[in-house]
Amino acid sequence: MAVQTNTRVLLNKVRGILQFIQKRHRVKTKWAATSPKLSATDLALQNHDVMYNMQLGELWPSVRVGLLTEQKYGALVNNFSCDDTVMYLQSLGCQDFIASSLHMEGSKAADSVIPPYSESLQFDQPIEGTYTDLTRASISPNVKCFVFPKGDISRFKPARPDSCGYLSYYLMDAASVLPVLALNVQKGQSVLDLCAAPGGKTLALLQTQAIRFLWANDWSGSRMSRLQRTLKSCLPSELCSEDNLCITSLDGRKWQEVGENGTFDKVLVDVPCTTDRHSLVEEDNNIFSRSRTKEKQSLPLCQTQLLLSALQAVRVGGEVMYSTCTLSQLQNQCVVEQAMSLAKEELGISAEVVDLQPFTALFQDTFYFAPDMNVGVMVLPHLTANFGPIYFCKLRRLS
Amino acid sequence: MSRICGQQVVRWSLRLSPSLALKSAARAEQNARQFAFACRMLCSHAHESQTSRASAQQHGSELTLRILLDLGFTETQAEQVYEGVTRSLGKRSTTHDTSTITALLALGLNSSSIVKVFDKCPALYTEKGAVVQQRMQNLCKLGLVEGSIQRVISYRPQILTLPAKKVNAAVQYIRTKCLFTAQQMRDILRDSPEVMEEDLKHLELKFQYAYFRMGVKQAEMVKAKLFKVSMEELRCRHCFLERRGFYQTPDKKGQTLIVNPKLKDFLFTPEDVFLSQFAMATKEELDMFRKLIAREDEEKGKMLEYGDIEEDKEEDEGEEDLTDFRRGNMGHMGYERNKRKR
Repeated sequence: MAVQTNTRVLLNKVRGILQFIQKRHRVKTKWAATSPKLSATDLALQNHDVMYNMQLGELWPSVRVGLLTEQKYGALVNNFSCDDTVMYLQSLGCQDFIASSLHMEGSKAADSVIPPYSESLQFDQPIEGTYTDLTRASISPNVKCFVFPKGDISRFKPARPDSCGYLSYYLMDAASVLPVLALNVQKGQSVLDLCAAPGGKTLALLQTQAIRFLWANDWSGSRMSRLQRTLKSCLPSELCSEDNLCITSLDGRKWQEVGENGTFDKVLVDVPCTTDRHSLVEEDNNIFSRSRTKEKQSLPLCQTQLLLSALQAVRVGGEVMYSTCTLSQLQNQCVVEQAMSLAKEELGISAEVVDLQPFTALFQDTFYFAPDMNVGVMVLPHLTANFGPIYFCKLRRLS
Repeated sequence: MSRICGQQVVRWSLRLSPSLALKSAARAEQNARQFAFACRMLCSHAHESQTSRASAQQHGSELTLRILLDLGFTETQAEQVYEGVTRSLGKRSTTHDTSTITALLALGLNSSSIVKVFDKCPALYTEKGAVVQQRMQNLCKLGLVEGSIQRVISYRPQILTLPAKKVNAAVQYIRTKCLFTAQQMRDILRDSPEVMEEDLKHLELKFQYAYFRMGVKQAEMVKAKLFKVSMEELRCRHCFLERRGFYQTPDKKGQTLIVNPKLKDFLFTPEDVFLSQFAMATKEELDMFRKLIAREDEEKGKMLEYGDIEEDKEEDEGEEDLTDFRRGNMGHMGYERNKRKR
């Protein structure tokens, strides 16, 4: 009896799906030849135009032209290289933006330079000297990143292996050093990099020379091998021993299955996102192509899950750095807020957002930070300092 | 002798066009001294021998300060012109003739603007008057009417040093390659006579950029005086607007999602107006952008060059007959290469 009813139900359903329509009643769809062919980069640009025009308003044209023009690079100095890279880079006419902003006097750093997006920027109130000094002291002096000064469009040469066979510097977006600096790793701490590939931030983490143990993880195997190549070309082999460094290729969203929960002092989550600059230039494997629409739509969910994993992996009192390279609010602030509320409701983990304003005040003459950010910090691209976009937000686990 | 100059003025005026002659006569009337002089010359010097007159008519008369003064120049102007003539001609020829000056006078230019013309283009001193006269006629034939021809010549006298054939070829080239109407071509010639001296390939490139990349039609180009602006400036301003999201290339139906600013509005405005009204940006940004776009273009150009070389190589390897066939297009290069091979 049950079987009979089941088959009847099934048949009804199938009939609904495969309803036969005679040819003469069928609507003939228009041939695709007349519909305009849009490349993925065009789609990305259209999407950005709509989304960010609302979000950024008057700032958007400046950001747009920055995104569409050549980006500026920073050279992250490899401390393990045998050559005197610093001398070489200084002879090129560029300067270490981290050191120069650290040595600048607190008041001067806050007042002297007026960034172009400053109209509504709230740096006017004096920042307490001790607080700034504290921030300054906590930034690792070992990380050196050289950039060409504002208005200089020269480029770095690709790094060559030195006499010991290590690359003397690594070229990356200078703004992506900021999350690492803001994470503020102390001597002897253990760090998890949940989405490590392709390795720029991981390398910057290792340059602090303070980490006791680093776990680098990324889901994609091919990108992981790229990370391994990067690390091999920059680090001496004794630093890559199993005690110091663990490289895995696991799904970061299921981190609780690994069992390393609540053990790390610091966690860095550089989540996959609609890489805004990249998706405007590169046609291959573009996230905005029609075939990856589903993936694009599920990105905020994936990001929330990753951040939740990170919150679980960090010890109580430890810190999580969430970073993306997109301008989209949906993938930045919303994800952070969503993850925090979910962590509280479902996992019983409470976390607070750490104020990064003293940190950004140090670097505001190198980068342009977006004004009016409620949660986290965003570096906006601008023609005179074409870094970013980078969003980062620091969370501290309370329980 | 200066009588002959006067004669030339009137005769060439008549030859140029009857209306022009009347006009120039009317102008001469205003310039009473000059006119009186011309008449005096025509009437009184009857005793001069026929032969010398004929020779003078061919070469114009010898240029002296006296004649210049008689032609209506002030003393300082005359000295200036005389000095210029002796400097540019040097000691190569001992006699300078006034035919060029008389030709310009016949056109209706007054003495001060003639001085300016010579200042702008000293090469004009060495041109023969008859040749200059012929080039002026050619310009008239191309559609420059009374008034605009004077303006063109006082704005860009270099056009008179170009052979008429070259000017005609350039006009023909622009009309066939860029499909301007005769009226538009006339306007181009009037507004930007410097196009005649430019490389025609570059002109075509600029046209194609405006037409295909920016979606601007010919009529608007003429209005915007496109050919007065350098390719770099055009590209910089257009790309700056485009990347800031204020300009879109229209599709094949001519539709855009936003309203594009008019070419004539943003191309010729001063930089500060362009920045505040159209680009909404700071000067810093535009300066940076100018540098970056120049480098982008340079690199693209290099890549294209490499591409060309590769193409040429392929041709060399495979199809010799083809290169022979293409010789016409490629000019002398293809021919020489073939020769060297043998």
